[in-house]
Amino acid sequence: MSGFLHYFLSTLDPMSNLGFSYAIPELMTSALPEWWLFIVLPFAFLVLPSVAVWLVYLFNPAAVRPPPPALPDEAAPLVSVVVAGRNESETIGQCIRGALLCGYPNLEVVFVDDNSEDDSVAIARRAALSVTGSRRDTERVRIFPSPRRNGKPSSLNIGIRMARGEFIAIIDADTILQYGSVQHWLLPFRDPAVGAVAANIKVNNSPKTLLTRFQEIEYALKTTAKVFQAHFNILYIVSGMGGIFRAEILHRLGGFDTGLGDDRDLTMMIRKQRWKVRFSVGAVVWTTCPETLNHLVKQRVRWRRNVVKICISKHRDTFLLGRYGLANAYVALEVLGRIVLPLALLLVVLWASFSAGPLNVPEILTTLYWMTNLYLLIRMSIARDITESPTPRNFWLMFLFPFYAIFVIGFSQMYAELAELLRIGSKHYYVPDHIWEEIPWW
Amino acid sequence: MAESSDADVALNPGEKRRLDLLRQVGDAGGALTPVPAPSATHGYAYAVVGEDVENDLSHLVRRNYLETRFFDRVSLCPRCGSHHLNLREVCPSCRSAHLTSEGLLHHFRCGYVGIPSEFLPVADGGYRCPKCNGVMRHPGTEFDRLGRAFVCRGCGVISENPPVEAVCFACNARMPAENLVSTVVFTYVLTSRGASAVRGNSFFDDDEEAATDGRVYKRPVILEFVEHELKRRRQLNAKFSVLLAKYARNAADPNPSGPPAQWLNRLRSRLREVDLVGQLTDALYLVILPETKQGQAEATCRRIAAGLGSESPFTLSAVEIKEQQDLVKILGEAGRSDPQ
Repeated sequence: MSGFLHYFLSTLDPMSNLGFSYAIPELMTSALPEWWLFIVLPFAFLVLPSVAVWLVYLFNPAAVRPPPPALPDEAAPLVSVVVAGRNESETIGQCIRGALLCGYPNLEVVFVDDNSEDDSVAIARRAALSVTGSRRDTERVRIFPSPRRNGKPSSLNIGIRMARGEFIAIIDADTILQYGSVQHWLLPFRDPAVGAVAANIKVNNSPKTLLTRFQEIEYALKTTAKVFQAHFNILYIVSGMGGIFRAEILHRLGGFDTGLGDDRDLTMMIRKQRWKVRFSVGAVVWTTCPETLNHLVKQRVRWRRNVVKICISKHRDTFLLGRYGLANAYVALEVLGRIVLPLALLLVVLWASFSAGPLNVPEILTTLYWMTNLYLLIRMSIARDITESPTPRNFWLMFLFPFYAIFVIGFSQMYAELAELLRIGSKHYYVPDHIWEEIPWW
Repeated sequence: MAESSDADVALNPGEKRRLDLLRQVGDAGGALTPVPAPSATHGYAYAVVGEDVENDLSHLVRRNYLETRFFDRVSLCPRCGSHHLNLREVCPSCRSAHLTSEGLLHHFRCGYVGIPSEFLPVADGGYRCPKCNGVMRHPGTEFDRLGRAFVCRGCGVISENPPVEAVCFACNARMPAENLVSTVVFTYVLTSRGASAVRGNSFFDDDEEAATDGRVYKRPVILEFVEHELKRRRQLNAKFSVLLAKYARNAADPNPSGPPAQWLNRLRSRLREVDLVGQLTDALYLVILPETKQGQAEATCRRIAAGLGSESPFTLSAVEIKEQQDLVKILGEAGRSDPQ
């Protein structure tokens, strides 16, 4: 027992693990191809895009973060910011004010209240009044209080139907547009093939709790990956927290489909129509992320169930090579990989642990741990350099981040995948009954 | 209407007109109620008493012969003051008034939202959804109406709460309804003082403004205050003094009825907020110094005299008032020494 403890302690020393770099050539010819295939390769797959983006950024920053052109106000196309929410009285005021005062000269806000039980509508009208000087609908703000709860997709459809802009930006009621973001957001639309642009989402309430700090790191890590994915047209989601679309596409599609995760579903529909999906580093929106574990797990379970529901079920035809193009097939495979790989990683670690014997288990785990930390340090530094996020005071959390990723996010996602595949509690609590009963997709 | 008497002869034309007006209000039952009059400026007129009487009515209200009671609120054009306005909802985008009120339809199955004209009617009732081509027959289970919204027939914009715009028929000005000038129309009711004035066929003597220059009271008012201070002294033993300020007018003084305003202001600025200043005669002012004994009053007197300087036109003296006779005495002395 004391021998085991001594061995365990020695593996906690990061210096003793630096030797893992020698493992790569060894593993290529080793008797552990699974380790190479399921551990090292996926990690490289996650890190290398960030490194590539960073190298481009070093030599040509404008390629990653192009400056917006100084256009006269008359040349600014009308942008409709559509917000839908239910019981969002705490955040809707700042959301509407933030959008109206974001520095873009030709912008309207459409807020659809999904039959809230709080005073969201009154607060929204007060926010509009503070900027436009009128409690009624104006050229810049229109508010639609829905007489019945219909769910977020239907509420967004009302907003889209009411929007009159050439571009429609969809943001959550708890997000705030950063000043000057819209100008950045519109830049990729200079390419007429671009149909949607995802915003750079940052966490507004990062200092609140440990969980919100972790989420700040998580969102920041995704940013550089999205730059890479957007460049190769394999970006598979324009987040509902902040995405802008050509209005003609949304009108032609008839808006969102009901009952499903709205953002991923819409992105897939846009991609299937062969529109390009881009990402803008400069288009920053600040979101309020869950502060409690319960709220966070619910959110991630909901997201993950939608991944399965949408990518594996509704849009399964994207797996067919040649039907929607190579990029879409790759996206489908990547989404599938993101479901399968964590499970595979878990299985390989368990298998390696058992096959290598109990004495080697700590070394396997700690090696994995320090590898993860090294990758995290690289990705966080790159994200910080390009997007100014995460904040430096949260860097130390990279030592705890693997535990957050596995025990909070990983397990939530695994539970959601299994529950969705096995149809356990398949009724989504956030979809109203009268809508759910009519949904044909599942 | 009551007949005019000899007392009317002493009134100036404005006063005479107002007294006639007061009589007419009395004859109308003591209350003057406005009646709708499209040709009148505010849309209401006081038909019993004729036109253009608002200024006189307001004057009588200020002098407490009449009191106002709310009757109605009228919106007026801020440019020309006319009440001939056309108010209607307009499109928040193109400002067109060509709006129709429609109920938005929402198809549960695919989430499509649109106005009814976008949905094709089917043979046996219901609609066909333009997005998913599904048939919607049963409201509440297959589709729903999302309240009513205004749809602009000019540009197609949908608005649930469109702005209201007013167009003035008189000057053709267009403005948001919230920019209209709102004015209140009153019913005027005779007060007991007004009824007394009608009975006596004249206005009361003391109904001029109590103050002349901010906080300098007329003689009857300041004497009322002195009486009040005497009562306080008797009942509460609250001591008080008065300061007499005699104004020595010089020949070149352009204002025969008192000192120039700046001297009064300088005098007033050296007093406390609680001190009351009144004008007894053209050249005699009285200052009540509450809660002030003789010694304190004299010290105050010296301080003020020093503050006003050697060029001051005032001659100051201070006396603590203990009884009614003290006041009579000093007023008598002041009256004898008053050059007026």
